[in-house]
Amino acid sequence: MKRMRDPLRRRVLRELRSDLPRHLVIFLFFALIISGASGYFISCDSLAKSYDESFEKYNIEDGNFELAERPDENIVADIEKDADIRLYENYFKQEETEDFESKLRMFGERNEVNKVCLLSGDMPKEKNEIAIDRLYAQNHKLEKGSTIRIAGGAELTVSGIAALPDYSSLYENPSELIFDNKAFGIGVMTKEGFEALRDDHIHYVYSWLYNSKPKDETEAKEMSEELVKTVSKHAVLTGFIPEYVNQAIVFAGDDIHGDRAGMSVFLYITVVILAFITAITADSTILAESGVIGTLRASGYSRGELLRHYLMPPMITLVCGAVVGNILGYTLLEKYMADAYLGTYSLTSYEVIFNPEALIETTVIPLATMLVINIAALAAKLKLSPLRFLRRDLSRRGKKKSFRLNTKIPIMIRYRLRIIFQNLPNYITIVVGSFLANTILMFGMVFEPMLVNFQNTVSENMLAKYIYVLKVPAETEVPSAEKAVMTDLETTYKKYKAEQVSIYGIEEGSRYVKIGHEGKGVYLSTAYADKYGISEGESITLKEKYTDKEYTFEVAGMYDYPATIAVFMDKTQFGETFEKGSDIYFSDEEITDIDDTLIYSKIGESDLTKTSRQLMRSMGSMMVVFKYFGIVMFMIVIYLLAKIIIEKNARPISVAKILGYTDREVSGLYVHSTTIVAVLSIVLTVPLASVMLDKLFKVVFMSYSGYFAYDVSVLTLAETCAIGIASYLLISVLLNRKVKRVDLAEALKNVE
Amino acid sequence: MFLEISGIKKHFGEGESRQEVLKGIDLSVEKGEICVLLGPSGSGKSTLLNIIGGIDTADEGYISINGEKTADMNEKALTRYRRKHLGYIFQQYNLIPNLNIKENVEVGAYLSDAPLDVDDLLKTLGLYEHRHKLPNQLSGGQQQRTAIGRAIVKNPDILLCDEPTGALDYNTSKEILKLIAEVNEKYGSTVIMVTHNDAIKLMADRVVRLRDGVIRHNTVNEQKTAAADLEW
Repeated sequence: MKRMRDPLRRRVLRELRSDLPRHLVIFLFFALIISGASGYFISCDSLAKSYDESFEKYNIEDGNFELAERPDENIVADIEKDADIRLYENYFKQEETEDFESKLRMFGERNEVNKVCLLSGDMPKEKNEIAIDRLYAQNHKLEKGSTIRIAGGAELTVSGIAALPDYSSLYENPSELIFDNKAFGIGVMTKEGFEALRDDHIHYVYSWLYNSKPKDETEAKEMSEELVKTVSKHAVLTGFIPEYVNQAIVFAGDDIHGDRAGMSVFLYITVVILAFITAITADSTILAESGVIGTLRASGYSRGELLRHYLMPPMITLVCGAVVGNILGYTLLEKYMADAYLGTYSLTSYEVIFNPEALIETTVIPLATMLVINIAALAAKLKLSPLRFLRRDLSRRGKKKSFRLNTKIPIMIRYRLRIIFQNLPNYITIVVGSFLANTILMFGMVFEPMLVNFQNTVSENMLAKYIYVLKVPAETEVPSAEKAVMTDLETTYKKYKAEQVSIYGIEEGSRYVKIGHEGKGVYLSTAYADKYGISEGESITLKEKYTDKEYTFEVAGMYDYPATIAVFMDKTQFGETFEKGSDIYFSDEEITDIDDTLIYSKIGESDLTKTSRQLMRSMGSMMVVFKYFGIVMFMIVIYLLAKIIIEKNARPISVAKILGYTDREVSGLYVHSTTIVAVLSIVLTVPLASVMLDKLFKVVFMSYSGYFAYDVSVLTLAETCAIGIASYLLISVLLNRKVKRVDLAEALKNVE
Repeated sequence: MFLEISGIKKHFGEGESRQEVLKGIDLSVEKGEICVLLGPSGSGKSTLLNIIGGIDTADEGYISINGEKTADMNEKALTRYRRKHLGYIFQQYNLIPNLNIKENVEVGAYLSDAPLDVDDLLKTLGLYEHRHKLPNQLSGGQQQRTAIGRAIVKNPDILLCDEPTGALDYNTSKEILKLIAEVNEKYGSTVIMVTHNDAIKLMADRVVRLRDGVIRHNTVNEQKTAAADLEW
C-alpha cells in the first residue's frame, strides 16, 4: 500500500499564513541583512578583483622616489644598474587652480608603468588637453570640454575622464591620514603639453620596477631598504615610497578588503541575534503546541518527524528571505554599495562577478547557522517526554520554584517583575539586541557631529593661520611671520605601522607655540599623546625615514594640537639634535614676499580639516544607512520578542480581562514590563555602545596615519536614546493592539 | 494474555515529599475488552494509563503487550510501540487548530501502515459533513469525536482514554461513550479508559478500582449496559 504523505505538511503553509506578521518581520529582517551583505560582498569582491588585477593590467610601479633635482642620464643608468631595477620618469607638476580651490597634479604620457585607464571621453591629443580623475571631475562638475585655469596662466581643456592606478586614493601626500579628492586632483597630458607647463612646481619623480620581483612584503621591505641606500649614493632623495606602503596605491585595496572583514563580523553578529530570536520563537511555538505535540508523540510520531515539522515554517521564511535578499543584493544593492566605493576611490573600470564564496558567506553560512540553532532549540525541547508536553510542563530545570518578592512592593510592580523574570531569556535577548542595534545606530549618529567637532577643535587650536614650509631658507617682511624649523621622523612601534611625525623646533618666546624651553624634554601634540596613550615623563623613540638613525626623547608635556601627530621642542635643542631641517614660517597673514618656487608647501586651515571633509563626503551616505539599519534592527528585535511574551501570556491576559481589568490596565502589566526593559536597555546600552565605539575607533586608528579623537557629546547620546525610545513607542502601539486582541475565550481553552 | 501489567510501582518526589503513586499493580486485560479504571483523584489511575501508553516509566514491574515488554524498549522502540499498538484520547482534545477535521484524522492515519478509510470513519463518527471545518468551528463533542477518529484511524490494538468525557456535557458524553463502544465492537480494539464517572463502569467488560496506588477491586462485568442506556 502506498504510504500517505505526512498530513502535517499541509499545516506548514497555514502556519505561515496564520502568523504572518512574525514570519514577515523575520523574512524582511533576513532579506535586509542578506541583501545588504550580498550586495556589499559582490560589489566588494568585484571591485577588489578589478583592483588586484590592475597591478598587472596597468603595470603598477614597485615604488617611486623623488630627487631634489633633475638627474642626468648617467645617474639614472647607474641607479638602474646598481639596484637591478628599471626606472621610469614620472615627473609631475602641481599647480593651484584659479576658478576653484584645489591643487592639480599633472603628469605627462604614461605608456609603460602606471598606465592610464580611460573611463570616458578621449585621451589628450593637443598640448592644452588633459584627462582628469573621475572624482575630481565630479567634485568640481567638470566634464569633457570643460576648461581648467591653473596658476601660471595655462588654460587646459578636459578631453576625458580617467583613472590612474597609482592614485586609486587621491593622496596628495601618502603619509596623511586621508585624502581629499576635492582639494586635490590629478590629470594626464601629452608629452608636449606637459613640457609646455611652467617648471616652478616640478617634481622629479621616478617609478621603479624590480627586475626580479620580491616574493613577499618582507622581501619587498628588505629590497626597498637596500634601494634607498643605493639611490642616496647617487642623488639627493626628497621622497621615497615603495608600492606596498604607498597609501595612494594600497589604501583602496586595504580598505575594500578590511571593510569586507568588518562586514562579515557584522553579518554574523546580526545572524546570531536573529537566530536567537527564531530559537525563542521556536520555543514559544513548542509551548503553545505542547498539547498537540504530547498527543502526537503519544500517538507514535517520532521526535525527528516533529522536529522536521516545526523546523519547516521558520526555515521556509528564512530561505525565502535569503532568495529575495540575494536577488535584491545582486540587482539593486550591488550598485548602491559599489557607488559608496566609487564615490571615494578613483578605481579603474570593473565588472560585476558572480562569486560563490560570497554566496556561501552571505547565504549558506547564515542559513546553516539558523538551521543549527533552530534544530538545537527544538531538539532540546522535543527531548521532553510526551507526558511533559501533555502536562505543559516544559521547564528543563524541573519545576520552577516561586521566589519571594517583598510584599511592600505594590502588587502591580510585583506582577510586572514576575513577568520580567518569567520571560528572562526574551528580555536578555532584547538587551543584547538593543546593544548591537544601538552600537550601529550610534555609529551612524556620532560620525557627523564628531567630524564637525574635529573641524572646530582643529580650527580653534591651529598653531598659526598658515604654516609655510620652505625649500631653501628665505626671509620675509610680513610682521606676523615667525621662523621655526621642522623635520619628519617616523614612529618605531613594532605593533603598529610606522607613522610620520612632524618635529617642530620652536623659538623661545614664540607667539604661536607656547612650550617650555628648559631641559631636554619635548612636547607631544594631543593627537600623538591620545593616539598612543603616552603620558608626561615617558620617553618616545623615533627614527629617520630613510635611515636607521633613532632618536629618543623624554616627554615633558602635551601641547593642545589635535590636528596632526607632532612633536614640539626648543629650536636650539632641535639644532643640536638634527643635522638638517626645513625652515618654516608660522604666520597669521599670507606671506607674499617669498617667491612661490622657494615654498615647498603652504598649510592652512582647509589642509588640516580636509580629513574630516573627505570622510564626510565618502562616508556620509553610509552613515545614513547605519542609522536606519540600527533603528530597524532595534524595532524588529523588540517587536518579535515582546510579541512572543504576549502570546505566551495570552491566557493570563484573558483571565485578567475576565476579572475586569481594562485593556489599558492589562497593557500596563504586559506591555509596560517590556517598556521598562526596553527603555532601561536603551539608556544603559547607549553609553555602553559609545564606550565600545571609542575602543573600536582607537583600534582602527592604529592602522591609519594621523588621529581623530572619538568625541561624543551628551547631546548626541541623548539624541540616540530619544530615537531608540521613539522607535520603541511605535512598537508599543502594535503591542498594545495585540493585547487588546487577546480573546476572553482564551482563558476557557484547554482547561485542565 | 493480551495486555499484562505486572508489579508496577511508581513514585513522585523525593525525601519528605516522596509519594508512592502506584504500589505494585498487577492486572491482565484480554484482547477486545473494555477496561475501566476508576478511583478518586490521586489514586494513580492516570499514571497507570500513562505507563501503559509508554509515555511514563515505572520504577518497577513491566507492561507487556502480546509478549513485548515496554520496559525493555529504548526511546525509538517506545515510539514504534505507540505508533503500532496505541491510540490515545485525552480530556483535552489537543486537535491541531490549523488543520481541518479530515486532516486531523489523517494525522493519525499517517502513522499506520494499514489505516482505516478516513472518509468511512468520518461518516461513522458523524463528522463527514464537517470534514472541511477547522476544530474551532465545532462543538466540544464534535472535537472529541475528531480526537477519537484520530486515535482509531490507525486501527490500534489498544485505545487509551484519559477522562474522554471530562469536559463534555451529559448528552455529548453519552454520545462519545457510545462511539467508543462501537469502535470497540467494530474494530476489536481493546479499550482502557480512566474516568471519575462511576456510571461508566456499567459499559465495561472489566472494572478496576484503584485507591492509594493499589487495586482495590478488579471485577469482570458479566452484564454490560449499552452506553446509550447509561444514566448518571
